[in-house]
Amino acid sequence: MYKFFDREKLKYCYQCGRCSSGCDINRIDRSFQPHRLLHLIGMGAFDKVLKSDSLWKCTTCFTCSERCPQGIRVTEILWIARTIAVKAGRIPELLVTQKDILLRTGRLIPMDNKKREKAGLAAIQEESSVVAEIFEIMEGEK
Amino acid sequence: MQYAFYIGCAAPVKALKYEISTRNLAKSLGIELVDIPEFSCCGFPVKSMDSFAALLMAARNLAIAEEKGMDIIGICTGCMAILSEAKEYLEDDNLRNRVNEKLKALGVKEYAGKVKVKHFARFLYEDYRLDRIKGKVAASLAPLKFGIHYGCHYMKPTHAHGCFDDPSTPSTIDDLINITGAKTINYPNKSLCCGLTIMGTAEDLSFKLAAEKLECLSSRGVDAMVLACPSCCIAYENNQRLIGKRVGKEFNLPVFYFTQVIGLAMGLSEEDLGFEFNRVKADRIREKLRY
Repeated sequence: MYKFFDREKLKYCYQCGRCSSGCDINRIDRSFQPHRLLHLIGMGAFDKVLKSDSLWKCTTCFTCSERCPQGIRVTEILWIARTIAVKAGRIPELLVTQKDILLRTGRLIPMDNKKREKAGLAAIQEESSVVAEIFEIMEGEK
Repeated sequence: MQYAFYIGCAAPVKALKYEISTRNLAKSLGIELVDIPEFSCCGFPVKSMDSFAALLMAARNLAIAEEKGMDIIGICTGCMAILSEAKEYLEDDNLRNRVNEKLKALGVKEYAGKVKVKHFARFLYEDYRLDRIKGKVAASLAPLKFGIHYGCHYMKPTHAHGCFDDPSTPSTIDDLINITGAKTINYPNKSLCCGLTIMGTAEDLSFKLAAEKLECLSSRGVDAMVLACPSCCIAYENNQRLIGKRVGKEFNLPVFYFTQVIGLAMGLSEEDLGFEFNRVKADRIREKLRY
């Protein structure tokens, strides 16, 4: 399932902390430490990772990935760890709402064709079932 | 030439000035942006819930453009990053085969890996070329000074975007804006993230990030911030007053899309560039350009 989750690659992490030292969130909130998260994930200590709020503080700006001297895709790993957290039932309230909107409308930001019409823009199809269909296919995977 | 226009979910609701100015700019440059009703969500918001579902969603969009024989031009940096990343993932034969199996179930033809994905700014820079736009500049914007905000996903992750711009000292949008005659400044927070992606899960951190750039640019006396992503614009323009209240400041910093600035230099009307939707009005710019 988690094919992109390259735990082998995590063995190349020598905990230099370059990901954390270049992270703007770490600069304003010292408790957010990407290198610590990588260490825990590498050790297989998922519980600790999933229990902390840290995963949801990452902006996915990719600065850490760009800085890693070992070429580890840090952002991608933290992003996919969210998927694991969600599947383990640790889903932030915001995501529950977003998922609901996505399943119902197929888009994160619901369409407003009245607003578009006022601005002289053509209407766009309001609803799509694509997201719901894709989630259904993924359900079938398990 | 025709391009599949990937408009995304934010622009057509939250960033009408971006959509209007993009459509009119493309038209006057002779670039045909074709709307594709079959496109869905890019996959970005789903990636935190199910990364494989997100990949599948992106792949579906790529396959649809490919079947129509058109490359993709988009205006949201988030969409462009997700689609470009998916393209890179799908270079792996095994993964592509797995994804293609699922695409079949969705009634979409299999994806071969041929379609190109580019942000509109990148397209103008790399494919349309600066000298051709320069030839169309009707009114120099020389009196104006801007601070460009790129948006992290515009060029990162660099491996997915093909390293076309430097994430720590980006320059492609500066170059685009400079051909209008306007100056752009280098500033310490240039590569700082807008923070919008964590507004719902860590609002305090999100606003602190946005405030840093707003403070920096207002103190440097630029006429506006210029950006290329509807999400970043929500952070810096829609939330500007709210963030100002939090930090006890009134920024009053106009925020424009690069398409509005280039269009202005080409002589397009304010109406054609959606200026009425700018929350912090363009008065300062009008004064300086005396029109």
